[in-house]
Parts: sequence; C-alpha cells; structure tokens
Amino acid sequence: MVLDEFRINEEPYYRPVSDEVGLFEAAYAARMPMMLKGPTGCGKTRFIEHMAWRLGRPLITVACHEDMTASDLVGRYLLDAEGTRWHDGPLTLAVRHGAICYLDEIVEARQDTTVVIHPLTDARRVLPLEKRNELITAHPDFQLVISYNPGYQSVLKDLKESTKQRFAAIEFDFPAPSVEAEIVAHEAEVPADVAHLLVRIAGSSRNLKGQGLQEGVSTRMLIHAGRLIARGIPLAKACEITLVLPITDDADVRDAFSAAIAASVA
Amino acid sequence: MLDLGSAASALLRDHPDLADAVIPAWPAIGRRFPPDARDQWLRACAAMADAALGQTCVLAYLRGGLACAEIIGPDPVIDLGDTAIALGRTAGVRAAQALLAAAPKAARRLGTPSRFREWLAAVERLAPMAPESMAPMLDRTEGLLAELDPAAFEAWALAGVRAAADDPGRRLAFFLLSTRESLRALHREADDLAFSAVERRLKAYLAALWRLRAPVRHAKADAAGGVPRRASFSDGLVWMPETFRGVAGQRAEDLFRASLVHIGAHLRHSGPRFPVGSLKPLQLALVSLIEDARVEHLAMRGYPGLRRLWLPFHVAEAGGAGTAPVLMARLARALIDPHYQDDNAWVAKGRTLFFEREDSWADPAISRTIGGLLGNDLGQMRVQFNAKTYVVEPAYRDDNLGLWDFGDAAAANRAEAETVYEAYRVEHAEQDGDPSGVPPEPREADPAERPDRSAPAPDDPEIAAPPVRYPEWDYLIGRERPDWARVVERFAYEGSARSIDRIIDQHKAVVDRLTALVRSAKVSRPAWLRRQPEGDRLDLDACIEAALSRRRGETPDTRVYATLARRHRDLSVLLLLDISASTNDLVRGTDKSILTLERHATALFANTLAELGDPFAIHAFCSNGREEVRYYRIKDFRRPYDAVAKARLAGLAAELSTRLGTALKHAGRILARQSTHRRLLLVITDGEPSDIDIADRRYLLEDARKAVLALSHLGIDVFGIGLDPNGKEYLSRMFGQRNFLVMDRVERLPEKLPALYLRLSH
Repeated sequence: MVLDEFRINEEPYYRPVSDEVGLFEAAYAARMPMMLKGPTGCGKTRFIEHMAWRLGRPLITVACHEDMTASDLVGRYLLDAEGTRWHDGPLTLAVRHGAICYLDEIVEARQDTTVVIHPLTDARRVLPLEKRNELITAHPDFQLVISYNPGYQSVLKDLKESTKQRFAAIEFDFPAPSVEAEIVAHEAEVPADVAHLLVRIAGSSRNLKGQGLQEGVSTRMLIHAGRLIARGIPLAKACEITLVLPITDDADVRDAFSAAIAASVA
Repeated sequence: MLDLGSAASALLRDHPDLADAVIPAWPAIGRRFPPDARDQWLRACAAMADAALGQTCVLAYLRGGLACAEIIGPDPVIDLGDTAIALGRTAGVRAAQALLAAAPKAARRLGTPSRFREWLAAVERLAPMAPESMAPMLDRTEGLLAELDPAAFEAWALAGVRAAADDPGRRLAFFLLSTRESLRALHREADDLAFSAVERRLKAYLAALWRLRAPVRHAKADAAGGVPRRASFSDGLVWMPETFRGVAGQRAEDLFRASLVHIGAHLRHSGPRFPVGSLKPLQLALVSLIEDARVEHLAMRGYPGLRRLWLPFHVAEAGGAGTAPVLMARLARALIDPHYQDDNAWVAKGRTLFFEREDSWADPAISRTIGGLLGNDLGQMRVQFNAKTYVVEPAYRDDNLGLWDFGDAAAANRAEAETVYEAYRVEHAEQDGDPSGVPPEPREADPAERPDRSAPAPDDPEIAAPPVRYPEWDYLIGRERPDWARVVERFAYEGSARSIDRIIDQHKAVVDRLTALVRSAKVSRPAWLRRQPEGDRLDLDACIEAALSRRRGETPDTRVYATLARRHRDLSVLLLLDISASTNDLVRGTDKSILTLERHATALFANTLAELGDPFAIHAFCSNGREEVRYYRIKDFRRPYDAVAKARLAGLAAELSTRLGTALKHAGRILARQSTHRRLLLVITDGEPSDIDIADRRYLLEDARKAVLALSHLGIDVFGIGLDPNGKEYLSRMFGQRNFLVMDRVERLPEKLPALYLRLSH
C-alpha cells in the first residue's frame, strides 16, 4: 500500500476528557471536515493520532507555515532526465488513497493557500489539479482535519469566514486538574503526588495569563518537567528549566512564577 | 562628493557653520544611526540650532549624541535633544550644555534606553522647580547616578526642592551636595528599597497564587507627617508603605512579599468585616491576631511553601517581659511555627484552642470566639496594653483595619478611601472587567486664559496660532462657500494623568495582547519575493515553469530567483475624536458615557502606538456654529506621549456640536505635513454631523464627504469609526463604502480600536 508508512500501529496514549472520541467517530462516519481548537500543548495532535489509530486510517500531517504555497499541499511538477514528472503533495496523497489529512496550525498558512481545500470540504469532495488538468474525487476514507489555536494572533491572522464555515469544531482546553495529573503521571512516569503538584504549579502560571504571560504552562510542558523529575532531577530545577525559563523573558513575571512554584512545595 | 541625504543637506544649508563638525563625523554617524533614525536625529540637531542655544550646544549635541547612540542606541538621543531644548528654555543655556555634557556619562551609568529616558524626563520635570541648580547638579550626574536609579534620583531632587522651601540659595547648596541634609537624603534614597521597585513582580506573584488583582496604593503619611509602618487593606484596596524603615535590600523585598501575600490571604479567606460592637481594643487586637493565623493556615493548605516566606519574620522568643505586645508576638509565632517552644500558659492555651479547631478553620467566626476567650484571660492577668502605641508584630502583618466594621462614621474618616469601583477583582483571564470611568476632573472657567506651560513654541509649524478659516461645500449651490467656517485651536483642559495610567491598568489583559501584536507588527517580517530577475536562491516553481517553456519551444522566463525582502513601517496616524455634547450619553447597558469609552480606547491606542513607534497625534473637536469650531490637541506628532498628553486626555469634556467637515480639513492639513509614505486619519464619531446654525441634515454630511474626497486626493486615508448602530447609511456616504466601521457594541471600542489600527496599518 502506498500509505503504509502513514499508518499508526501502536495505540497512542490518549485520555478522553469528555465525549470527544464519540463525537469524532460520528463526524468521521459522516466524513465531516473537522476543526480542533485549543491552546498549544493541550493534546490536539495526540488526539488525532489516537483517532487515526482507532479508526485504522493512515494519518498524513502537514505543519503549516507562512511560506507554504498551494503547490506544497497539492503537488508540483519536478524535473528529471526524461522530462517533467508530477509529484503528489501530501493533501493529494491523502485524497487519492484515503487517509486522514491533518493540517496543523492552519492559520499560519496564507489565506490564499488554504482555499485549495474548499472543494474538498463541501458536498463535492473533489480536488481539482489545475496544472495536471485532473479532477480527483476523494477516496471514501478521506477526511480533512485542521487544528487552530485561537490565540493572540487572531487579529492579524485569521481563517477566512468561507474556510471556517466548512468545518465542525471540537474545542480542547487543558483538562481538569485530576485528569491532567493522570495524564502527566502516565506520560512522564512520575508518582501521582508529583503529577498533582505539577498540575497545581501549572494552575498558578495560568493565573498569570493576561498579567505578562500570553499562555499558561501547557500539559506538554508539564510532561517535560515530569520526565526530568523521573530521571532524578530535583523538582525545583526541573520546573525552572522546563516551565519558567521557556515561558517568558520578563524578569518580573519569571520571579513571580518561580516564587509561586516555591510556595507550592512544602 | 559625499551623499548626505536630505536631512543632512537641509541642516547644512540652514547652518553652513556646522559643516566642519558634521562632515568629518559622517562615517561615524552612519555607523551609529540607521538611516531613519539618522534623519530624525539630524532634524533634531537642526531644531537645536534653531532654538538659539548657541553653537556650543549644537556641537555638544552632535558629539554627545554620537557617544550616547553608541551606548544605548539612537532613539533616546532624539529625546535628549528635546529635553536639552526644553531645559534651555526653562533653566538657561548653561543647563542645556551641562545636560549634553552629562548625557554620555548618564548613558553609561544607566545602560538602557528606558532608564535613560526616565532620567531625561526627571530632569525635564525638575528644571522649572530649580532652574538655578540644574547646571551644577548635572555636572555631578556621574556621582549621583552611581548611587541612585532614575526614580530615586528624582525622589532625592524633589526632597531638595521641598526642603529649600523656595529659597534658591538653599536649593543650590542642596544640589551642590554641600549640606548634610542632602547627603542624608542621598543615602536614604540609595538604601531603602522602595515598594515601587518590586511592585510589578509582587503583584504578578499574587495573581499567580490566587488570580488576585488587588489595586495597590502607596500608603500616605498621616496628617502629622507620620509614615505608616504597616501595610493595610480596606474595601479591596491595598495600602503599602513606600519603604519599611530601616529594612533594605533583599530583606526588604522579602518583607514586601510576605506582607502582600498575607493581605492576599485575607482577601482570599477573610469573610465580611467583623462588627466592632462593644469589643475592647485588646480584644480587637487578639481577634485580628487569630484571624491572621487562620487565613495564613488556609493559604498554606494550598501553598505549603508560604510558611518559609512568613516564618523568618517571627522572631519572638519565649521568656522575657510579660507585657501584652510581647505575649501576642509569642502567640503569633506559636501559631505558625510548629517547632517553637513556649511554656507560658496563656500562649499554650491559645495554641491549643486554635489547633483544636483545625477542622473549622474555614469559618471566620472561630477567630472571634478564640480571640474573645484569650482577651478575657489577658484582661484578668492585668497585663499592660496601650492601644495607642500598639503596632502589629511581626512587621509583615497588616494593621487589620480592613477586618473591622467601625460603622459609618469611621469609614468616612478614612480620608484616602477610594470609591468601590476599584475594588479588587478575582480575574477571569480574558474578561477584563471594566468598571466605570474616571471621575471628571475639576475644570477651570476659561481655559483659554490659562497659558499652557507645555504648549509648543509659537514657531512650531504644527501650531496654527491665529484662527484658520476653511471653505465649506454647499451641495445646494454645488460650490464651496469660501472662508466659511473658522477653526479655533484651544488649549486642552488638563485632568489627572494618573487616571489614564489607571485605565491602562484596568485593561491589563488587553494591553498584554496588544503588546504581543505590536511585537509581531514591529519586527518588519521578511517576505519572499518570487520570480525575481536576481536573488539569493532559486525559485523552484519558476525554474520548472522555465524548463517546461523551454521544452515547449517557448522563450523561458528568466526571472527564476527568489529574494528575501523586509517591509518597513512608514506610516503616521492622526486620531480625531468627536467630543460633542452627545458623547455624554451613557452607552446602553453600561454605566459609562461614550466619551469615557472614547477615552479608554484612546488611552489603549496611544499606549500601543507609543510602543509601536509610529508617529501619531490625537486631536479632538466640537463646534459652536461656523465661527467657532473648537479644536484641541491632546498630543501632537512632535511631542512625546507623556504626562501632559495623558492629562489632556483625562481632561476632555463633552460639549457643543459636530461640524465634522471643517475639523477633517484642519486635521488633514496637519497630517499632510507628515512625510511618511502612508498617512491615516482615524475619526471616531457618535452621530451624524450637526451644528446649531444648520437645519438641513444633508448639508454638513455633504461637506464632510467633500472633505474626505479632498484628503484622499492628497494621499491621506480617512477611516471613520461610527458609534451609532444606525449610522451605516450616513457613514458610508461620508467615508465611502469600505472606509468605515460601525461599532455595534460600543463598550468594546477600547479593545477594538488599537487592533483595528494594527489591521489597517498591516
């Protein structure tokens, strides 16, 4: 099979927070384009990996960036000794052979790039390749999923209305403290009490949002901290290098956050 | 021939005698100043030369400016020029020279542009108060700044001004550092850590722990001049002493931290005020003491590490005199320090009573009970207690006035009590609660008679000193009525600049978000230009196209390179506010007037623009018939966004009518002098144009439309923001289909305006 390398063979760990797994399964059954919204590091990418595994579909992920062109998605002609040769882009690959195509951080891509997904996301489910003069009808297994972080950049960069309205959305946020602790404990292999402490620390950084921090500490960062602790680094040091230093350069906020960490530790 | 650019050529044309200084330094100037800043600096040099401070000053500015630019970058050097000119005006040429000579030393000492600017601002503020002392003081800059940071420097200098009580001789002696008083003040400023130095980080700490955003005020001295020795809180406001006497350095920071967190614990866990009722002072003190311990223990349940913060201040030891304050300090320690041993029966009893009730700590009533019992015991032991001299121990604890309800009379006594609107809020990250606006400032009868200290000199090209007449378009006759409406520029009323800073504080979350936006807008982001005839990498798509064309037998396009280019911001903006009487109306569903919202929006806008560095001006207008279109300059392009501009913004008051077209013409004329590539005129208005002498609704509308068209011919973009939800029709008539926006939820104007600007300018 063409897409074998995109298959996920082992179950990626994912702890459901509410009914998102059922919702996504229903959406997939209807082949509905999906949007995963939420702050960075809260588990969107892990969720889609888990769902691809669960549904037994290959997953093609594209990290979107500002410089990405439509050709980077649908494909382009390359030169070889014989002449020109068409090379499918990741989106075309997924459409042709039936994979879930995941466009990560879609707002980073320019708006004119993202319009190529429009014919795929309505009733037509087709992808026209103008340069090849070809019209691909999507494979029955194909589904398009995008992730979207409605953070501060949304004033300068936002999805077009016409793009947004094609998707159903599932909202993600940091899980409730007990659940988040469970996730940290599992992923970082630390005892439950350490995980709980880390989650409390994350809470104080999230309190600082709007006080000099753009975003609070994410679950991903907590797992980083936990992994270092599991390898014998003292908690204070681990928090400093995985949470405090990366999150801000503002000395005052850094001081406040470090002090809050110190206050959390008996 | 050296290519000097227009600014330098202009400078040398007007002041040929400077050629000897400028030409040899040209390579160095080029190294230190990027082209934009260089032209700005050279214009500042020209302004200095025009200011008639003598050639010595201009040469000193050229030399000193270069030296400063090397240390702290080019931008503050422009400000240095402004300050020197201002100083020359208020304190004389000698002072300006001293400033310019001191500047490189100050730059070295201070190290950063922001600190350097603070210092400049402090010097500028001091100049009118002690003109004779400026030169000798500036000569001592290096020594002073070795001891003091800019804020402490200003505090020290103000102490001198105050101490001299208008006697220039004494003042001079103070600034020459020849009095003991002056030296003592110097060391005091240098030693004691002021709360303002650590305020930001400690407030952030409180937010991190409990999402508490308590407004902190500096505790003022009482009527007798006594400095408060303890922090205090009341109605959600926190009063913090500016310094704790005799505590310096790290220990002072710890004390501020412990104190603020202790108050945070109160705000978090103390219930409604206890009624004082018939309790005696001793009982009040004891109930407060138990309450202190109770909230600290509750706080430590969540944050056990807080014990390390508070414990070092509990230094009471067992034994010694059995007076009430001593016993109480020992009890306080016994309640927080599990390792503390005390065999005093009363202390032991208090400890037992308190820890027996561990399960009901959540209930404030237990403080009342335990405190009452212990008070009785202490009363029976006949120990001394003098309520007048009693000070809460340890030092981090507040005076506990906020715990008690003394009834109405006492509350009114608290002179510094502020209105409840500033009460602390438990923040919910994004929704930045926006309590009512700033109370109106007292105004004077006729401000035009009041000369404005900070007004630009009459030779400032932006000042239209005599009233200006503009034609008005009459759509009925299809032509302009010449010299029809008259613009009278008036000095703006001044309100309190601090109220504007408070607005910024209130919108902290929005400001932070905007700062991030500004950062991304400011760094001119690189963009790939494709299909270029030359460039630093191949454009793959273009190459393939070219190969394809070649195979098809066509002539291939040779533009197969891509190159990275940076876009620069080159934009100035004038914000024109409609302050007609109708802006006094309250916005539906809120308790704020339209003008208040305009003011909030403008404060955020100005804050954003000041950070962004785009040149901007803020003007306001209203009208009283065609002979009197009043025009106020809150901030001009050439002035910094400083306390004066903020005071004027705070002082805006709504009155009269809206003759928009004439105001647009006047604003456009000012904006047209800006030399940036784009010029944007943003107008905020709450209704259609109207005036007392016009009955025909269409007349002023058509005149405004004509004015917008005329400005767009001059290359000025006019964008209208309408606050009238039904204004679509007339706004599109005036500003054109695409150049207006109707705010359907006016209360969101403050956060929308700066964001809108960033989008328009992107």
